[in-house]
Amino acid sequence: MWFGNGDNNTAQSGETLPKQQQQDEEPKKSEDISSILGSDFDPSKLHPLAGLDKEIEYLDLDDEKLNTIQGSSNGILPSRGWGDDMCYGTGAVYVLGLGFGGLQGLNEGFKHLPQPKLDPVTNSLRPVPFKLKLNTVLNQVTKFGPHAGNTAGVMAIMYNIIDSSLDNIRGQHDDWNSLASGWISGALYKSTSGLKAIGISSTVMTIAAASWCGFKRLVAGNNGSSFGA
Amino acid sequence: MSTPEADHSRDPCPIVILNDFGGAFAMGAIGGCVWHGIKGFRNSPYGERGSGAINAIKARAPVVGGNFGVWGGLFSFYDCAIKSVRRREDAWNAILAGFMVGGSLAVRGGRKHMFNSAVTCACVLGVFEGVGMLFSRYMAWANKPVAMPIPDQQGSPLAA
Repeated sequence: MWFGNGDNNTAQSGETLPKQQQQDEEPKKSEDISSILGSDFDPSKLHPLAGLDKEIEYLDLDDEKLNTIQGSSNGILPSRGWGDDMCYGTGAVYVLGLGFGGLQGLNEGFKHLPQPKLDPVTNSLRPVPFKLKLNTVLNQVTKFGPHAGNTAGVMAIMYNIIDSSLDNIRGQHDDWNSLASGWISGALYKSTSGLKAIGISSTVMTIAAASWCGFKRLVAGNNGSSFGA
Repeated sequence: MSTPEADHSRDPCPIVILNDFGGAFAMGAIGGCVWHGIKGFRNSPYGERGSGAINAIKARAPVVGGNFGVWGGLFSFYDCAIKSVRRREDAWNAILAGFMVGGSLAVRGGRKHMFNSAVTCACVLGVFEGVGMLFSRYMAWANKPVAMPIPDQQGSPLAA
């Protein structure tokens, strides 16, 4: 009220006071900043340096708190260090695994719906109740979804921990780190199942790490920033 | 860039759900490794203790991680949703979010089970919030501003 009303409202207090009382008696429709401060509220006039006229900023992190390892920025989200990398990487991969596993379970559930049985007395097909069908589908979803999500999440944890460790040991991040940590985590995941399984899983994880690197490059290419080799 | 006094220790709302999913999953999986490693070691016969521990970890640690992750992620999701609806941040947000999480996770057990576990979760979160409030108040009391000592009116000790 005291700084927002723009041009029509001057600093003469004799004029503003009755108007203020009049406004207070009006029924309150909605309370947000513009209704409190007046209709022509412009946040950029408050303080030009505060940057209040910007939209909501997602992850606008302070510069001094960011990850300092060279080449570790992924161009998608800023990161404060290995903890952020691990949390976001694991979360994203876990949710993706949960989603895809759930879809697969949905498919399986619809494939194995209970069939209507022949009633021996009336010699007609007994319809399957809806609750039974729903239960079958939900059972399959909750069987496949968490399994895929857990597997993917564990892989992502191992990948991110090994990746951050390699970054810290070498002092820089590049694609070789990602590939090596993918290989190591894949091998570690199947390390009790024999050499063939180790080879398959580490190959798959290396390919996944390579595609992640390619995806980062793609996004960074759009942003115009560059990566370490 | 941003204002220097802005708190960036916690990320803004929609994206923090992923962070909480991952953080809770990692906490559960790593904690599950320790827990089920010890449990599998102790429950195995002599000579197979190492392999018993590894088998227990392989079988159960991801499940613990998944349970933690789903709980934490759903809690963060509901917390953000309630924040955006209520447009304020207080202890009720966490309690309501705990209520919703408890209900959502028990959704297949029927209405009674849903309600019971929702209330249980809300109570647990309420206790957490209450303990947090007590603790912060205790810390504020320990750091309370101290009044300056009143100077002696009868004269300073040096003069006496």
